[in-house]
Amino acid sequence: MKIKITAAILLSMLFTVSCTDLDEQLYDQVEDGNFGNTTKEIDALVGGGYSSLRGFSDAISNNFPTCEYVFFLNEVVSDEATIPTRGTNWYDGGQYQDAQKHTWKADNRMILSAWRYNYTGIAKINAIIYQINKSSLTEKAKEPIFAELKALRAYYYYNLLDLFGNVPIVTNFEDTDLPTNSTRKQVYDFVEKELTDAIPYLNPNVVYSKLTRNVAYAILARLYLNSEAFIGVARWQDCIDTCQKITGYSLTPDFFANFVTENQGSSEIIFAIPYDSKAGTVGNYMNSMSCHYNQKLAISPVGNYPWSANGMCAQPGVYSSFADTDKRKKCMLEGDQINLATGSVIMMDNGEPLTYTENLTSLEDAKENEGVRLAKYEMKAGEQWERDHDFVLIRYSEILMMQAECFVRLGSPDLAKPFLQQVTARAGEEMPTTIDLAFIDQELLKEFTFEGRRRTDNIRFGTFFEPWWSKGTTEKYRAIFPIPSTVLTTNKNLKQNPGY
Amino acid sequence: MNSKNTKSVLHQMWTAKSAVLMIFMLFLSASLFAQTKKISGTVYDNTGNVLPGASIIEVGTKNGTTTDFDGKFSLQVAVGSAIEVSFIGSTTQKVQITANTSNYDVRLQNDGYALAEVQVVSVGYGKVKKSDLTGAISTVGADDLVKGTISSTEQVLQGKVAGLNIIRPSGDPAAGSTIRLRGGTSLTASNSPLIVVDGIAGVDINVVQPSDIKSVDVLKDASATAIYGSRGANGVIMITTKSGTKGVSVVYNGQTSVGYVNDNLDLLSANQWRGYVRQNGLADAVDYGANTNWQKAIEQTAISQSHTLSINSGKADSGFRTSLSYLNNEGVIKRSGLERLSGNVSAYQYLGDNKDVKFDTGLFANIDKWHPIDYRIFERAYNLNPTIPVYDSEGNFTSVAGNIYQNPVEILTNRTFDNERHRLLGYFKTDVKFLNDFTATANISLEHNAVKAGTYKPSYAVMEGQTEGGFAQRTYGEYTNAQGELYVNYSKTIDKHNISALAGYSYLENIYQGFGAQRGGFVTDAFGYNNLGAGYNYRLGDVYSYKGKSNLVSFYARANYSYDGKYLLTATVRRDGSSRFGENNKWGTFPSASAAWRVSNEEFMSSTKGWLDNLKVRVGYGVTGNQDGIGEYKSLSILGVGNDSYYDPITKTWSLAYSPKQNPNPDLKWESTEQINVGFDFGLFNRITGSFEYYSKKTKDLLYTYEVPQPPYLVGTMLANVGEMSNKGVELTLNADIIKGDKFNWNANLTLGHNVQKIEKLSNPTYKTDVIYSGSLHGLAGMSGQYSQIIAEGYPVGTFWGFKNAGLDADGKIQYYNAANEVVAESALVDADKRDLGNIQPDLTLGIGMNFTYGNFDLGVSGYGMFGQKALNATNMMLNDPNRLPAFNVPDSFLSSGITSAPKYSDYWIEDASFFRLQTLSIGYTLPLKYKKSKVRMFVMGENLFVITGYKGVDPEIGLNAQDGINQTGVMDQTGLAAPGIDRYNNYPRPTTISVGLNFTLNN
Repeated sequence: MKIKITAAILLSMLFTVSCTDLDEQLYDQVEDGNFGNTTKEIDALVGGGYSSLRGFSDAISNNFPTCEYVFFLNEVVSDEATIPTRGTNWYDGGQYQDAQKHTWKADNRMILSAWRYNYTGIAKINAIIYQINKSSLTEKAKEPIFAELKALRAYYYYNLLDLFGNVPIVTNFEDTDLPTNSTRKQVYDFVEKELTDAIPYLNPNVVYSKLTRNVAYAILARLYLNSEAFIGVARWQDCIDTCQKITGYSLTPDFFANFVTENQGSSEIIFAIPYDSKAGTVGNYMNSMSCHYNQKLAISPVGNYPWSANGMCAQPGVYSSFADTDKRKKCMLEGDQINLATGSVIMMDNGEPLTYTENLTSLEDAKENEGVRLAKYEMKAGEQWERDHDFVLIRYSEILMMQAECFVRLGSPDLAKPFLQQVTARAGEEMPTTIDLAFIDQELLKEFTFEGRRRTDNIRFGTFFEPWWSKGTTEKYRAIFPIPSTVLTTNKNLKQNPGY
Repeated sequence: MNSKNTKSVLHQMWTAKSAVLMIFMLFLSASLFAQTKKISGTVYDNTGNVLPGASIIEVGTKNGTTTDFDGKFSLQVAVGSAIEVSFIGSTTQKVQITANTSNYDVRLQNDGYALAEVQVVSVGYGKVKKSDLTGAISTVGADDLVKGTISSTEQVLQGKVAGLNIIRPSGDPAAGSTIRLRGGTSLTASNSPLIVVDGIAGVDINVVQPSDIKSVDVLKDASATAIYGSRGANGVIMITTKSGTKGVSVVYNGQTSVGYVNDNLDLLSANQWRGYVRQNGLADAVDYGANTNWQKAIEQTAISQSHTLSINSGKADSGFRTSLSYLNNEGVIKRSGLERLSGNVSAYQYLGDNKDVKFDTGLFANIDKWHPIDYRIFERAYNLNPTIPVYDSEGNFTSVAGNIYQNPVEILTNRTFDNERHRLLGYFKTDVKFLNDFTATANISLEHNAVKAGTYKPSYAVMEGQTEGGFAQRTYGEYTNAQGELYVNYSKTIDKHNISALAGYSYLENIYQGFGAQRGGFVTDAFGYNNLGAGYNYRLGDVYSYKGKSNLVSFYARANYSYDGKYLLTATVRRDGSSRFGENNKWGTFPSASAAWRVSNEEFMSSTKGWLDNLKVRVGYGVTGNQDGIGEYKSLSILGVGNDSYYDPITKTWSLAYSPKQNPNPDLKWESTEQINVGFDFGLFNRITGSFEYYSKKTKDLLYTYEVPQPPYLVGTMLANVGEMSNKGVELTLNADIIKGDKFNWNANLTLGHNVQKIEKLSNPTYKTDVIYSGSLHGLAGMSGQYSQIIAEGYPVGTFWGFKNAGLDADGKIQYYNAANEVVAESALVDADKRDLGNIQPDLTLGIGMNFTYGNFDLGVSGYGMFGQKALNATNMMLNDPNRLPAFNVPDSFLSSGITSAPKYSDYWIEDASFFRLQTLSIGYTLPLKYKKSKVRMFVMGENLFVITGYKGVDPEIGLNAQDGINQTGVMDQTGLAAPGIDRYNNYPRPTTISVGLNFTLNN
């Protein structure tokens, strides 16, 4: 009987010590309510807004929306770059062929990536604003932080205005109602107002990679430059006036100093996305997406260079449009690629030499070696898969070119000359006696090759709608992209852009 | 959690807890005042096995009891009276009670059929006689489990239970299997049944070794599994391990085997390649001069062995069993394999005058060591030009540039992957009988599972190693499940009424944690992964650690009533509270009810007695849940650090950003499955037994990571409960003693299953989706972002969706049908031309086994098959590419196929993957020894001797996830999304194995 009693006591003890608490206990993460109370924590939150610029990769968009792919959408639909199908490779459901032919549909995953890149950034910034708003900071202390975050958000909205036009405007993290479209004009006005409101609070100095007053002016200048294309109202003078408020930058004597591995010291870079292999930043692999698999032997004698995918290249005609004297021509690889170990031409797996040609057999069936390749950013032996060069978004030469273009458009080409002079001189080129829009257009191509902005220029100059290599005439509605089909299925409040 | 909710929940639980406790104490105190003389004893059948459920009546009174599942009974009787011990199908026996004896062991004479019906079946927190079952439960005894070269315990059930599919996606000894009962119930959550070992729920099945298993009960319908509530939806596999049985015995089992690859893809040999090049005048094709069969170059003959030694000892009131086993299964791909050392100790002890208290303890432990291989070698072995030598003239690995062109032998050889897993399960169980009819059980257990891994890719290793300048990594991850359970069983027989009831409580706490570190850039390769500090190249994400916790609190109850063994009723209810569930759904209730009628016991059936031994009709309904798909913390709004770093231009340093991680979903809850089951059990001519089941189940609140609109959501996806899925099917199990003779016996068993699955719904007012694209082809050349399957309303999971081919045109281009069924060229296709191209769900699954004995010889054969399922032969699709030659190899058949179009997904590459596999064939001879029934058995066994199939790939048995076997071995998952039924270069070949073995049983 004693045993039974002992056993019974033991059993009942099990009951009394047991726990019925179902609250989740966090160990390696923190609930949002418990964060944002110290300066360090605030810095770590705001930092998240900037890190969103690098984009992300996930299973939904198989074109990883790390930033360079998003910006590359602007290149592959332009007159500058293309992603041809090479045998089986790079067909991928025809999405790149569609981009080249201007026959893209709403289910194109490159377009989805661009949408998600920008809205993920926006949602993150909204969440950060919400988080900081809950913190113990005084309202006065919050003001400059909010101004910086809102200006950064306006940059994302500027991209959406350019790419998609009629997009929903969402600014409140707590609002989870499914939004409706705003008109392109409303988005335009929103971007202008957000930037203008933020400018007084923004840092007036040159601070690398942060959204300073200069960066806000540069985005605003882009907005005015494209105002006619966006909303049908030309604002060339506003663009010039805004550009003139940007101070503290100068062109680097060497064009390629902006694209070396450690390019963060450049006096010309106004806004950039920092990358660092030691910081584990993911993305920025454009060189690898372009070069042939065996290009590594031209970079390191033992092939110590990350994997390459043999994809994107320049459209036929782009390379030859550069004068041989133009120093910027080196941003592309053409001709025989030399094996550093043997000193002879690298051989491809099929036994043919690796010689990049400007012309391609066709968009649908290009050979492995066809197309000149992107080599604007430095490629170094021993480079890690995580790259070290920062991705340049806005350079001072763009500010110069914007003013030059506006003066030409306002009928004063002579006033454009001092600005153009700086850009062409550095490239080792002569400036023509008469400056016209055609020259400006060509100069923009050469100065900003593969920098993720060519489509916008093509649309502003109207060339976007003309036929070019492997593309016929483009209808006007394609000046903006369709809203991605999966976004429309999940949010029935949204209307598709006209024409799609 | 708001405090009001917390309080009411706590109050609720406290009330339930106190009630159970009070009842328990009440019964306990009542028993203290009982006064009469008590006798006890055990009832055995004629072969010495204990008989549960035998009835004991004090002659001339209504005083009586029945034996428990250990055949034990105790009863208050008057001194000098007699008891009558009876059991269905046995002769009743009378025993006189004397003053000085209180222990009575009784042996009854009974026939074989009745024995099958008294088999006890684990039903969760107790056992039930097979004859009293009301739910759909299949039992497999130790003798019927699959034997062979087994490195993963679930393999013992392959083909043995109707409706239970065990799919082993590869022949890699380190890879696990996928277990699906009745078609599975979930899109994203686990579809694996809950594993219960000796009453401990939710453990890793591999903690138990096949040789330690006494029997396996598979709980199939919801009326049986609802007692496991939110974890019961995929069925429950209850494993009972061997424990000390009466007597002393020492058993040794040993076997050694040779495994080899029977079937490779027929690719061009070097000479065939040269012939092709000559015929086609390909002047610039490079001939590297060798004759290499790249598939053979990565393969080896696998030599495996296993040894098990066990000691068993049982006395009247105590017993123990220990076993130690070692296995070393080599893989047929070089360097792969699995080595395992495992041990098991279990013991029990009765205490008290009437053996009223029983202590049970068990300890299982094992250590696995294996070397994962990189599954990317298979694609490379298919790609490489057969004229390339494995080694160059200097004896180094041939290195040909090109990222899908690397030397697979070099990949296998030049990297180190050392993994080790430790598993431990221990429990201590106490049963206390009180007031004759009650048994209280307390069971505490701990399961611990840890994996540590070391990786080194030296600076000369082509993939990753070179660019990193040597790369080393160590990782460690573990989890611990601590469980406490307390339950009370009540059982009472009054005349022909039999009542039993159960009430209980359980608490489970799961803690997982781990850490890892990696570095690149080593000056010397001498350290391997043993000196991470020597690497100079490190990044922010190179060290990490994590920890998380979840708990599950449950209350459950069951009531059984039967009348005269003819009318049987069961009802259960479980209430589960889980920390993983969202704020608004912390608790779930899972009820069930079932009934059975033993028609054959009715008076009016007396005319059929001659041939119909048993006929029982069962019907059951229940609701069960699945909470595995919800990870921890998914319902919360969380900030975390990832590799989310930002640059500070002032200090020129990098810091870590804190960012919101997920869209929180406070409504997150378990998936719930309602299931109706109707079954018949029958026995004919004292030779044939079987059962037939029909079920219909509907799963609601399916979890899926939905694409949510951005804006307004933070990230593009969110885990939510939205869809509905149905599974309907029939199952047949048959067992026949075809010949029962003195010398010759022939027994056969058959299982058949048929299941029809359909997605009923995918949207609700908040989350909308018309179709989910799945079966990703990402990673195949030219197929980035492409999908081969859909998940859509009206279709089963794994439905291939694409263009229908119309054969080759005159130029060898594949043509297609458009929506109007007109033949068109590829360029004319539009999305609307896509259609249903069949699905991966089999129409029929079959398991068959036969055993023959002739004197001392025995012969066993078993096989299984799946029929009617489709598979995408993506390997073939990619290899039949006209762009491959001469640089890459192609299948022999490509040269005669005439295909000139580049690979494109369509039903041209979808094949019927029906197959039947001869699983094992064994011949044994038993040599009886003179000493106390000791014996030696010697055997020869063949495994996977043949497969009958029309499938053109290497093996038609394709995993339900393309990454099956890949994740298992710790190698990177190349697909990202689940891709069931897709054969894409991931075919670790299944070996054909011949083994010889020896079983030695020494009794004392």
